[in-house]
Amino acid sequence: MNKILVVDDDLDILSLVELILKMNNFNVAAISRWEDIYNKMEEFKPDLVLLDVMLNGADGREICKNLHLDKETKNIPVVLFSANPEMGKFIKDCNAQDFVAKPFEMSSLLNTIKAHVN
Amino acid sequence: MIKLNDISIRNKLILMQVFTSVVVFGIVFGVFIITDISSYKQRKADSMISLAQVIGTNSISSIQFQDPESATEILQELHTVAPEIIHAAITNDEGEIFANYSKSGLDSFKIPAYILRNRSSVFTEHQLFVANPIVSNNKVIGKVYLEVQLTELQQIKEYKYKIAIVLLLVALVFSFLIALLIQSYISKRLLKLVKTMKNVRKTGEFSKPVNDTGKDEIGTLTKAYNLLMEEIEESQRKKDEFIGIASHELKTPLTSIKGYVEMLNLMEDDPTKKQFVGKALGNINKLESLVKDLLDVSKIQSGQLQLNMNEFNMDELIDEAIAASQVNTGTHQIIREDHPGNEIIYGDKQRIEQVLLNLLSNAIKYSPGESKVIVDTKKNEKEFIIKIKDNGIGVPAEEQLEIFERFYRTKDISIHISGFGLGLYICRDIINRHYGRIWVESTGKGSIFYFTLPLKHTLSTQQTEV
Repeated sequence: MNKILVVDDDLDILSLVELILKMNNFNVAAISRWEDIYNKMEEFKPDLVLLDVMLNGADGREICKNLHLDKETKNIPVVLFSANPEMGKFIKDCNAQDFVAKPFEMSSLLNTIKAHVN
Repeated sequence: MIKLNDISIRNKLILMQVFTSVVVFGIVFGVFIITDISSYKQRKADSMISLAQVIGTNSISSIQFQDPESATEILQELHTVAPEIIHAAITNDEGEIFANYSKSGLDSFKIPAYILRNRSSVFTEHQLFVANPIVSNNKVIGKVYLEVQLTELQQIKEYKYKIAIVLLLVALVFSFLIALLIQSYISKRLLKLVKTMKNVRKTGEFSKPVNDTGKDEIGTLTKAYNLLMEEIEESQRKKDEFIGIASHELKTPLTSIKGYVEMLNLMEDDPTKKQFVGKALGNINKLESLVKDLLDVSKIQSGQLQLNMNEFNMDELIDEAIAASQVNTGTHQIIREDHPGNEIIYGDKQRIEQVLLNLLSNAIKYSPGESKVIVDTKKNEKEFIIKIKDNGIGVPAEEQLEIFERFYRTKDISIHISGFGLGLYICRDIINRHYGRIWVESTGKGSIFYFTLPLKHTLSTQQTEV
């Protein structure tokens, strides 16, 4: 079972994504505080991170860059997640694998995630 | 009749200057001619009076000795001395004609005494009459009368008028040329301002101030205009900022609503409940596309809409867009008429897809009661042309350009179509940014929307041209 870490400061979206992923047989960890990411990465060891860009007090792109700098987390794919579709342009700059725009279609979210975990 | 207000400022300035200089020069020349002629007349009268004096002095003895023959001889000499004198006479103290002279071929002299009652010289139209008393021992013993033909004066007058007219014409030409130079100084600046205003209206770019360092009224006008534009730009910026934030804030709850309703839709088995959830989902999707449109427009307006250019298979994209649109309509069938190739286009795939989806959804929306929407593609040496045809309500000729404007809604109030009227505006902007064209053809029933994208090999040259 693939492990997905979901980070979003909107609790409703967070539990929605958690629900969708669990229904589709993913092992999910969901956190709303970005400060917990680094600990959670170590503890949970996800196969993919779904990361909101506009987090309360932090920029998901910066977190993504930081994850890429760490040897431990360097090879874990990150999918950015934002209500601003322009953020899709930044995935290369911050070494993210892909981008999902909010509001999303359930199928496209799942397809994007599946494309990067296998 | 032409109103003064309808004449351009440029022409008004020229007219004003030419008119002023012609009037001024006319007056000046007129005064010169009049003084010139009157001084000529004065001189002429003086010289004729002195001639009359000489004749008078010479004929004193003839009068005293009652010898009209010698007096006549004196007068005959006028023939050589002063050929312009056509008649001359000497009268005695009783006013009777004593001696008479007429230039050959002319009637004898009738003294126009009424003219000369108290004056020594009188000018008529073509003649000068002179009367001078003959005085001997302080006693008037007779008078000398002369009638002078003023042929020379006529010539002088004609000559002066000619010169005046020629000079006036020269002045006219010069003042016109000078006016032409000066007006450009004024009207050029005005026209520059007008041009910028027109440009702003066309492009919506308020941020370009007009440069005018002048401190005159035009300078003031330009400054006022620039300030106005700054204010408009500021309010536009605030509006764009607001739309941007609002769209983002709208999208976050929308994401939750959409996701949960989608989940409900999956989990629901009861057909009635499933139908209700389906309706909710359909409307959520509408709301989502409206919010997206608002965000796109605010980006276009603030110049933040950027394209993510890549190569992609246009034929595949068309098929995908048709498939996606087909899912959303239960009433229409979307048919692709051509045989798809594998045309590779350089562009922003998502934005082009947005255009396709928009045009397809319009075709469905605006053809209620019909069943077919036809998609076709063509290619010439420069462009890939996409054609989307419906049999709907059509677009009246006078609206065919306007429908691509912001917030434009059809004037046909008999149909109610939801939306902000932003879709085609966004499509036009996206296609224009790809150096393509978008237009509609419609004759009453049904419309055909076309858009073009430059072929890959032509793009490099086109981009350098722009």
